[in-house]
Amino acid sequence: MRIARRTIGGAGAAAVAALTLAACSGGGTTGGGGSEPEPVPTDRDITLTMAWWGNDDRAARYEEAVGLFEEKYPNITVQTKFQAWDDYWTARNTEAAGQSLPDVIQMDLSYLRQYANNGQLLDLSGQEGVNLDVSGLDESLLASGAIEGAQYGVPTSTNTLALFYNGDLLDSLGVEAPAEGYTWDEYDDFIEEVSTAGAGKDPVLYGSGDYTGTFWFFLQNLIQQGKTPFTEDGQLGFTEDDMVAWLERGTDARADKQYFPVEKALQIAPLGGFTVNESASEITWDNFLAGYVADSGTENIEMLPIPAGDDGSKQFWKPSMLLSASASTEEPAAAAALIDFLINEPAVGEIFGTSKGVPATAAQRDAMNVEAGSIDEEVIAYEESVADLVTESAPLPVEGFGAIEAEYKRLAEELAYENVTEAEFAEQWFTFATDNIPQP
Amino acid sequence: MTVTRAVPDGAPPTSFVPTRDVKRYRAGDVRAGYAFVSPWLIGFAALTAFPMLASLYLAFTDYNLFRDPQFVGLENFQRLFEDPRFLQSAQVTAVYVFLGTPVKLAAALGAALLLNLRFRGQGVYRSIFYMPSLIGASVSIAIVWKAMFIDDGIVDQIQQLVGFPAGGWVGNPDMTMPMMILLAVWGFGAPTVIFLAGLKQIPAELYEAAEVDGAGPVRRFWNITMPMLSPVLFFNLLMETIHAFQVFSSAFIISGGSGGPAGSTLFYTLYLYIRGFQDFRMGYASAMAWVLVAVVGIITAVLFRTSRTWVHYTGDER
Repeated sequence: MRIARRTIGGAGAAAVAALTLAACSGGGTTGGGGSEPEPVPTDRDITLTMAWWGNDDRAARYEEAVGLFEEKYPNITVQTKFQAWDDYWTARNTEAAGQSLPDVIQMDLSYLRQYANNGQLLDLSGQEGVNLDVSGLDESLLASGAIEGAQYGVPTSTNTLALFYNGDLLDSLGVEAPAEGYTWDEYDDFIEEVSTAGAGKDPVLYGSGDYTGTFWFFLQNLIQQGKTPFTEDGQLGFTEDDMVAWLERGTDARADKQYFPVEKALQIAPLGGFTVNESASEITWDNFLAGYVADSGTENIEMLPIPAGDDGSKQFWKPSMLLSASASTEEPAAAAALIDFLINEPAVGEIFGTSKGVPATAAQRDAMNVEAGSIDEEVIAYEESVADLVTESAPLPVEGFGAIEAEYKRLAEELAYENVTEAEFAEQWFTFATDNIPQP
Repeated sequence: MTVTRAVPDGAPPTSFVPTRDVKRYRAGDVRAGYAFVSPWLIGFAALTAFPMLASLYLAFTDYNLFRDPQFVGLENFQRLFEDPRFLQSAQVTAVYVFLGTPVKLAAALGAALLLNLRFRGQGVYRSIFYMPSLIGASVSIAIVWKAMFIDDGIVDQIQQLVGFPAGGWVGNPDMTMPMMILLAVWGFGAPTVIFLAGLKQIPAELYEAAEVDGAGPVRRFWNITMPMLSPVLFFNLLMETIHAFQVFSSAFIISGGSGGPAGSTLFYTLYLYIRGFQDFRMGYASAMAWVLVAVVGIITAVLFRTSRTWVHYTGDER
């Protein structure tokens, strides 16, 4: 198992390498690099603030990890806060505008460039070797958090997409899970079968939510068609027709009410149809398993590779999240020490397991208690099983990705309420995207 | 201010002659006056006047918060009227203002009339009725509201009980506006208190005289209460209209900041916030802010203009 785990990390790192090369463009601003870094002071009390996105399950894990950090550095207190994904970025954007970002923030690839290009993030390379040890990370993976040589984020872990299905629900409905190597059309048939069988139940059960409403899945599907979602000079690599074709995958299912209803989904947010056990399957990132098991209360969640295109599922590894420090932090040394601790400390690897993705450092991968039948084992086994399906590099988000992704999500809601057609969706999205992606 | 007040104690007003001393004393008085209001003046200049001027400038720029603003002339204003979401937000807000405000004022007036009756324990009722407006606009109430109106919330359960199962209002774009208006109406305490004070000012002899002449309760309401109350009604109408244009926090909480479902709670201020703080379009957001100022200004002016025909001030001979 140990060797296999390393293989996974290596594969992830290698995949990220390709992504990195393209990441080295755009106007970076200097952060805290330059002068000789001071070690973390121990003679005075320090308060750090830290923010992440996630659910209660992740909060409990962070509290435990941060508790260990405070034990190691008795003079440092860490104040933590968390929100669900959407609220998280609204709150961070507001703070960024007021130059009051928390000292340490969980960062996503889709926002890294925007924050870094706007001078919000600390160049952590200035702290390397003193307060921050990044030698445990694969070089190419580490580089995914760098822009023009400045280290604005340190990846904590890697992930890839997966199909989750609820074995208990499928058993109760007498529907078979999709077979290995299934296509998008077969997945649509599966959804129809489940929703037909579940229509008479109380509560009504569904095959899936409307998967066409997630931007990343659209991008993954483009990659399966051999297209490049974003060009090297940071522009869109697809057309309105591509988007319409993708959205029309769901037209019949939407008309037949086969998808978990949007009005329900909105009311139970931040939970979803899958985590309240009313939707039998969901495509999502593999590291969500731990959170989903905690939210849904069922252990019987199985994983499959995502539906295949003409040449297989053609998946990619993505740094599931990064840790960044604010450019305005008054305690760069302590902030770097906290990031260092969260990335390297074996005990932290044990606490998080695979809930943030497979850990980026070998020290943390080896420290995980991978028990037979555990969630971590399932995620690791999954990543092993898809390792040869991961043939592509992650698309490199353009600047403004966060905004265009949010707009896609908003329009998906309008589509679900039948306020726009697929063609109007694509037209409005392209208008917005052209306006929000900086032109060269 | 009269001259006598400025004279030092003991100086007889009849023999008062202005001297240099007194002049200096008065100048000092003025300075002291400015000194005492300076906290407000500084606050006004730094926290209101300057930001307003800055946003007026930004309305003509492309500004993403972090990079220097680029002057773009009237582009932001031109784009506003081509933006379907802007038009949607204007429409949502207009419905809320023009439907919600009259309903809220009617509720407030009704409550004030009831609270103006004389019976034991009236003070307790007045306190109870005012209570919602103490917490009406707060975040916590919006959260409670959402919990009441979701699937299987208390409202849904009552609807099922009486045989109108409609599901939660929160996820239904057709029901979110009634829900928002109910939330606004629920905070009717503030205008009620003002109405109540107005009702107390109406001389009892007018009613007595009308009663002697044979006017019934309805006649007395329309011919005495309403005209006598019209200045207060006008004040409340003005305040509540402006207030309604500014609704933000309840919509933000209930829709999770998105203005959903399907844009049905995309209030003007919420869209302004989304453009500014989610899309980083501060110039665009500033332009929206100034359009709102202009619209509220025009509506206020129109209200003032029409008030000449229906508002009666005491001693007014019209």
